[in-house]
Parts: sequence; C-alpha cells; structure tokens
Amino acid sequence: MRHQGGWIQRLLGSGSVHGGTLLGLVMAAGLLSLPALAFGADAVPPAATEYRDIPYVGSRNMIWIVAQLHLLLAGFVLGVPIFAWLCEVVAWKTGEKRYDKLAKEFTKLLTSAYATTALFGGILLFLLISFYPKLMNYLTDIFFPSFIVYCLLFLVETATLYLYWYGWDAMQDGGKKTFHIFLGFMLNFFAFFIMIVPNSWATFQASPVVLAEGSDLARAWAATWNPTWWPVNIHRIIANVVLGGYICGAYAGIRYLSARNTEERDHYDWMGYVGNFIGVFGLLSLPFAGYWLMREIYQYNQQMGITLMGGFLSWLFILQAMLIGVLFLGSNYYFWLGITYRIPGSEMKYRKPMLAMLIALLLCLGVWMTPHSLVASMEEARKMGGSHHPLLGVFGVMSAKMTVANLMILVTFMSFIMYWRAGKQETAGWAKVAKAIMGGILALSAIAVIVLGVWGYFVPALIRINYFSTTQVLVVLGVMLTITPLTALLLRSAKTTTEMVWGKMPARAGYALVLNAVMVILLMTLMGYARSSSRVHWHVYGVLRDTSPYAYSPALGSAAAIMALNTFFFCMIVAFIFWVATMSDKAKAPSASTKSELPHGMPALAGASSALDEPKVPKF
Amino acid sequence: MSEVVQLQLIGLSVIGIGILILLFIRATFARVIGFVWIVLGLFTLTALSVPQMASLPPVEEKFDIATVKTPTDMATIGQKIFFSKGQCALCHTIGPSESARCPDLKGIGAKLSREFLFESLTQPQAYIYLDYRHEGIAKEYPARMPYINKNPIGLSRNEILSVIAFLQQMSGEPISVTVAELAAPGQEAPAAPVKASQSGPVAVAQAH
Amino acid sequence: MGPLIKLIVLNVVVYAILKFVVPNVPGSAPLPASLVFLYMMLTTSGFVIFATVSAESKEAFWGPIQRFLTGENIGGLQALRYGVLILFPLLVGWQTYNSTAVSDAPPSENRTIHPAPPGEYTGLSNPISKTPDAIQQGKGFYAAFCSPCHGGNFDGKGPAARGFNPPPANFSDPTTIAMLQESYLFWRIKKGGVGLPIEGMPWKSAMPRWEVELPDEWIWKIIMGEYDGAHQSPRTWE
Repeated sequence: MRHQGGWIQRLLGSGSVHGGTLLGLVMAAGLLSLPALAFGADAVPPAATEYRDIPYVGSRNMIWIVAQLHLLLAGFVLGVPIFAWLCEVVAWKTGEKRYDKLAKEFTKLLTSAYATTALFGGILLFLLISFYPKLMNYLTDIFFPSFIVYCLLFLVETATLYLYWYGWDAMQDGGKKTFHIFLGFMLNFFAFFIMIVPNSWATFQASPVVLAEGSDLARAWAATWNPTWWPVNIHRIIANVVLGGYICGAYAGIRYLSARNTEERDHYDWMGYVGNFIGVFGLLSLPFAGYWLMREIYQYNQQMGITLMGGFLSWLFILQAMLIGVLFLGSNYYFWLGITYRIPGSEMKYRKPMLAMLIALLLCLGVWMTPHSLVASMEEARKMGGSHHPLLGVFGVMSAKMTVANLMILVTFMSFIMYWRAGKQETAGWAKVAKAIMGGILALSAIAVIVLGVWGYFVPALIRINYFSTTQVLVVLGVMLTITPLTALLLRSAKTTTEMVWGKMPARAGYALVLNAVMVILLMTLMGYARSSSRVHWHVYGVLRDTSPYAYSPALGSAAAIMALNTFFFCMIVAFIFWVATMSDKAKAPSASTKSELPHGMPALAGASSALDEPKVPKF
Repeated sequence: MSEVVQLQLIGLSVIGIGILILLFIRATFARVIGFVWIVLGLFTLTALSVPQMASLPPVEEKFDIATVKTPTDMATIGQKIFFSKGQCALCHTIGPSESARCPDLKGIGAKLSREFLFESLTQPQAYIYLDYRHEGIAKEYPARMPYINKNPIGLSRNEILSVIAFLQQMSGEPISVTVAELAAPGQEAPAAPVKASQSGPVAVAQAH
Repeated sequence: MGPLIKLIVLNVVVYAILKFVVPNVPGSAPLPASLVFLYMMLTTSGFVIFATVSAESKEAFWGPIQRFLTGENIGGLQALRYGVLILFPLLVGWQTYNSTAVSDAPPSENRTIHPAPPGEYTGLSNPISKTPDAIQQGKGFYAAFCSPCHGGNFDGKGPAARGFNPPPANFSDPTTIAMLQESYLFWRIKKGGVGLPIEGMPWKSAMPRWEVELPDEWIWKIIMGEYDGAHQSPRTWE
C-alpha cells in the first residue's frame, strides 16, 4: 500500500522515466546499445543476481525488441516454407512452371532468413541469460531435456533446408521431384516441431502446471503439456501462413511498383495475387483459433481472462479490432481492384455487390470497434448515465463481437468467390440451380449467425460460449467447405468470357498489399504484448514472481510506440533479406528472360487456385 | 510535457515525414517506407488516444504470525497461499470444472478430517483415495500430487495449517485449526507428517 | 467536384443521424464524441475505398482534388488554393496545440469497469447450496443492504443511486453480472471500492467494503439472490 501514491503518479502523470526511456530507445535504436551491456554488468554485486539492467534502454525493452524480432522472423521462416511447399505441390500437380519458380524464389530467401532468425535467437538467449538469470535458471531446471531436443531439431532442420534448396534444380524430374516434395514436407515437419518446442516454454510461463517429482524427462514432458500449449501451436501455425502470404504479397507489391517492363509487371502482379490469396485463406480461419486460445486462457484462470477481456488490456482488443478491420478491408479492396482492373468491362457489373459487401464490412467493423465502456468526458458520461451507452453498449460484449467477426469472414469469402467467378460464363445445365443454392446457403448462414448472436444475450454465458459461438463458427466453416467445391465444380465446365489481364493494376494495389503486411506484423506485435502482459507481474504465472523494477506492464500508448518500432525494424530486416537474395538475379537479368513462363491471360486460375484452397494439405 | 504528449508529437512528426517523402521523393522504396511510416504513426496515435492504463504489481504480502488473531485470519492467509505460493489452484478447482486436472476440492474440508488433509499434503502417495466422491467409477486425473512441504513448493507447517483452515472455511465447516498451533517464527520445525491412521480414519464415511 | 460533395453530404447525414436520431430512440442517450468520430471515420474510409475501386471513379473523385492542390487549370480558384495550402498546416498545428495544451476540462473517463480480481478470489465457488430458502434469504439481505443503491428491481436505480458517479451497476443488464463468475461478485462485495486495483481506480467506486459488516455466508447468499432476482445466471465452466 505504501507505494501506491508513487504508482498513481507514475500512472497518471506518466513521469518522465518512461518517456526518457523511449526517447533513448529511438536514438539508441536496437543493436547500437549492445555495448551498454558492459556497464550494466559492473553495477551489480556478483552473488545471487536475479536481474541485471542496462541504462537508457532498459533490460525489459531490450528483451522485448529482440524477442519480438526473433518471433517475427521465426514466423516468417516457418511461414515461407509452408507457402513455398504449397506452391511447389501446385506446380507438381498442375504442371504450371510459374508456381515452381515462385516456390524457388521464396526458398532462396530461406537460407539467409534462417541465419538471421538464428542470429536473433542467439542474441535473445544471451540477453536473457544476462538480464534474467533467476527466470532462466528456473526454466532451464524444468526444460533442459527439451533444450537438447531443440538443438537436435535445429541440426535436422538445417540439413533438410540445405538439401531442399541446393537440390532444387538437381531434383526436377520424375521420382527425384517426388523426393524433393517429400523433402519439403520434412522441412515443414521439422519446422513445426521447432515452433512447438519453444511454444511450450512460453506457454508454460503463461499457464504453468504443478510438477511432481519424477525424472527430468517426465517433468519436462508434464510442463510441456500445459493447457494453452496446443491452442497457441495451432494459432501460430495459421498465423505464420498468413504472415508468409502477406509478406509475399508486400514483396510483390513493391517489386510491382518498381517494375520496369511488362514481364516484371505481369509476374509480380500475379505473385501479389497469390500472396494475398494465401494470406486471406489463412486469415479466414485465424479468428477461430484465436477464440479457442482465449477460451482456454479464460478457463485456465479467470484472473488472466478478465485482465485480457475486461481489465487493463480490454482496450487492446479495440486496437486489435481496428487492425483486423483494416486487414479485412485491405484484402477485400485488393480483390475488388483485381476484379475491376484485371477483368476488363466487369466494373459496372460488380459495382453493386461490391458496395453491398463494403457496407456490410463497415457495419460489422463499426460494431466490433464499439467498446463496452466508452471514452467520454465527464459531461458526456453524465448524459449517458455512466460509461456504457444504454443502446450501443450491447455491441461491447463478446456475443456481438463474435457475430460480426463471423460475418466479416463470410463477406470476405464471398468477395473471394466473386473474384474467382468473375469473367466466366457457367455452361452446365444445373448452373442456375447451383447458384440459387449457393445464394441460399450464404443468406441462411448469415441469418443463422446473426440470430445466434442476438440470442446469445439471453442465455447463460456457458451456453453461449460452448454451443452458440461454436455453432456460429461451424456454420461459417460449413459454408466455406460446401461452396468452395461447388464453385470449383461449376467452373470446371465454365467458358471464359473475359481473359484476365495481368500487369494492369494501379499503384494503390501495391500499397494495399504493403498495408496488409504491415497490419499483420503490427497485429503480431500487439498480441505478443497482450500475451506477455496478461501474465502481469509474474514470470511464471502464479508461481515465479517478477521482482524486477520492470514488473509493471506499460500502458498501451508507449507499448504501441515500441510495437511500431519493432514492426519497422522487422520490415527493414525482411527488405534486407529480400535485397540480398535477389541481388544475383538482377546481375543476370538481361540474359535470362523469363518470358516463356509468364502467364498470358488466366485460363489456369480457377484450377490452380482450387488446388490451393481445397485444404487437402495432410500436415499438422 | 507528459509522456503521452511526447509520444503524440513523435507520432505526428513521423507521419509528417512520411507525407513529405510521398510528396517529394520518386524512388519506389523510399515511398513505400514513407507510406509505412504514415501507417505506423497513425497506429501509435490511435493507441495513444485510448485510455492509458498501466498494470502495477501489488505489494508482496508476507505471512506474519503476529497479525494472526483468529482462525478466520488463518483462513484468509490460507486462501492467499492456496491461490499463489501453494500452487494448489494450478490443478485443483473449488467447484466443478471440465478442465480439472485434479479432484475438485469443493466441500473437502467437511469430507476429510484435518489430519487426513495434512497427510494428503505432506505424504501424497501414502493413501490414495481415488474415488473420494463415492459416485460413478473412480476417475483418473492427469496430474500427480506433489509433496507440498518439499521443494519446489515447500510450504511451512504454518502455511499448510492455514491452507487447511481455508479449506474448512470454504466447506462451511468450523475451523478446527487453532492459532495456538502455529509455531513462532524461528523455531518453526519443518512440516512433519502427522499419522492420519492414529487420529481416526476419514470423515467422509459419515458424509454419505 | 461531384464525389467530394457526395462525401461531405454523406458525412453530414451520418453525423445528423448519430447526433439527432440515435439519441432520441427510446432508451438511448447522446453518443460521446469519440464514438461519433469513429463512425464518421469508418464512413469516410468506406467512401474512399469505394470511390477508388475503379479507374473512372477514382479519377472522378481524386482528379479534381489533385488538380486543385497542384493548381492546374483552376483559374479563379488559385487564391482559394493558396488559402488552403496555408491554412491546412495551421489547422494541424492548432489541433495539436489544443490537444496538448493544459485545459481546465476534467480528463475523460478511463476507468476499467471489470478489473481483474486478485488471484485468491478467482477460484472460489459458492459454498452455500442453491435452495429456495437460501435464495429467499439472499434476497432479504439484498433488500436490506444493497437495494438502496442497486434498486429493488435490480436495475441500479435505487433511491440513493442518483447521487453517485459512476452510477451503481444495473444487474438486469445482460452485460454486467451475467458476464462474471460468482467469485468475482464475492470479491467486489467483500472488498468494495477501496479493494479495487489501481486500474479500476479505487476512488471511483462508492461500493462499501462489506467484509466489515457481513459474514461471508451472507455475501454468498446475496449473490444467489441477486442472480435470481435479476434473472441472470453466473458465468460457469461446467
């Protein structure tokens, strides 16, 4: 209690401590401050050191930045092989060489990206050992068997990656290609384990379990199987695909903007399309995984659940809604631009449906972004009778948010289907019936989602969470799983009325792709902050207390500044990786023309994308 | 100038620089960076416009025997230990839960005698009572009960007694642990097991 | 300047609806400026997205603005252009100054309505069995201790409610106690306003600390009576 006065001051007046830190941070910018480690180390007495610090930046901020960059790079390094492997499989199945080329182009990044990730992982490890010895001792004591497993996994993964990349051209035909595809699968298989092993360390910190006596292996195994481990694993694997897809899109966008000739324009336009498509495909299932994770957290510990949903982090979810909203709008915008620019003459035909979808998206976003307790001046609050608006306050709770999230997914899915069908004329006799059925399914499911959402207010929370929300999710998933094959079937016999034209997209399409990628990265940094600060003042929730001066969690504004900084650093690192990897291409560009592999018109689009969106990927 | 204002000004200047880049520079990559700056600046400004709340750690509380006057005080301390240092709540719930990793402890203080509770905490494998609810088939739980009086949890005898007081209180039972039983600081012996078998069996038999 | 005028008209219409129609719906109240701003931003961004989705509509929307700003063939509007180019940065500066200047208006509300309870209260369950008797007793206690503020109808409109800011919670609203577990209510009743953590702003709740007056058993009964009377049920995990 005695510290409270000081805390309040720090909280409200926002004393200059943190502001100074931040300024220092901007100036010292990341790695430059590493030499400062030496100063921090002298200042502490040698016996039983629990924490060390560095001046200006602060140990916590340093760890924050490095850990976030490592995680983003790891997401990129794990997402890209999935993306590349999917493209390679598509190329293998359909015989379209440009997918193989795309896959190779991205695999080329992997070696340097992989090294950068490992570099940041190493920096993170050294910083953690230096700054947080107490925590590291505790975790090592529990997890050292999995540390060793992790090292072994790294060896195998690296070996596979080298085989996969350097064997690309050598293993192009017949059985060799099959083996190469298998190598790609193994690459992703090991990568998955490389992801879930550290996940177990991080999730143990958030949701620890009691460890009884036993062998070291048994203890590590018990700690690994903590309640949020699998929800996080699933959430992250999907998010990595999304990140990989959108970064591919952004790269294509930038290359498209700076393209000098038609071939380049065509190629990068098409690449942007593929990247956006894979990103959206993952994005559609991401909210479900996130919802499951949140539910597990709430169930694991009510305190953590309330901290996130109703407590000091509740505003974070409004920011999250904004970022996801922009991401959905950006992805749809790109689809719509694709329709009007790539399919000549289709603009007037699709103007009305686009407007309807846009309005639906905006209404949903409006509901999602309406907070439960509003920012209001004293005067306004008095008029409302509290900080809840009597009418719009109902938008502030989970039932409404869940409903609009599902609706936004539905609309985006419709947008995708519309794009897929644009410029084609169905010839099958049952086309009319099929279209009517699809329209009916969409309308009914939208109504079902809304009815369940409204009804959700009148039933106990448990029924809403266990049955209503689950049903909403199943309805939306069901729609996707019925309409996708139906459309694929319908378009198999369709005749193309208007050929798709590549390389005609306006500059703003490139910027939209960049915007989407930035949104995904920001979202990952934001949710990283949420995961970390939901543990409040614990290293290991409820077990090992953070007794350092950084046990507090900063307010959203200053946290957002660091998130923005992290996002920018990451963008620059990725740009550097791309630049390094493509340097040699530019050197040989004049001689090797890629023209023969480039798309002219888009007859293969439907087949190609249906091979992608039928989720018959056997892994994970 | 408060920190929020400082950050707002930084955000605004970043946006300003971004706009200037877009207005005056032709190179694509620089323009994209300018665009990214505008986006990041807008994000930071938005985050600064919502209520700013930090989460501060509460004061650490110590188990001080001098403040304990009544069994209820013991139960209050026991409640804190149950949900923090004792790590009981990592597995056990009070009241049913579908994710329970261990038996539900609702009403446990009424069903089991305090000696049995003490033995369960200090010698968890001594007498495993799989089906303490007497309904349906015995349930297997994924977690194994650790020794509460040994590392890593290592509660002292005083703390264990407080937890028992809390469990009894939560079950609507009179608290049978008395303040006099608490050892004064310094002379506190490590929690020695009390033989449950000597003090009569389990109270659960009468409960049904 | 067709589309630009459309955009302005659209925003005016949305503003009028939010300002004059929504507050007059029965049971509604005026919207805070932050919310109006949010909805107008959404409207504007929606309009811009739709206007720039094709080349023609983008030209119709952006072309005149660009020509005006760059001063291409705008004839008599040149003076206006210089005016805008000078005034706009000044406007931004003024806005920035205004938002950072010291003002005598009270800061806006930023209290967390449901701060996280301390760990030792999160896992409790009601030890009293749910019998009609106990519920009836709980309602009796409620009437005696809680109803002066939270109201006999559990709607937060008791005779003493008017004096408080923030007002007492309305339990019949499905967004209040129905979202919470019983243990949360137990904590809030027992510790009252002073027991709130810092993010809940301890001085912003007049809830008494009932642990000094009521035994735990009564509090649990009151909770049962509250849920029953307000026709809500607590959040559970079974």
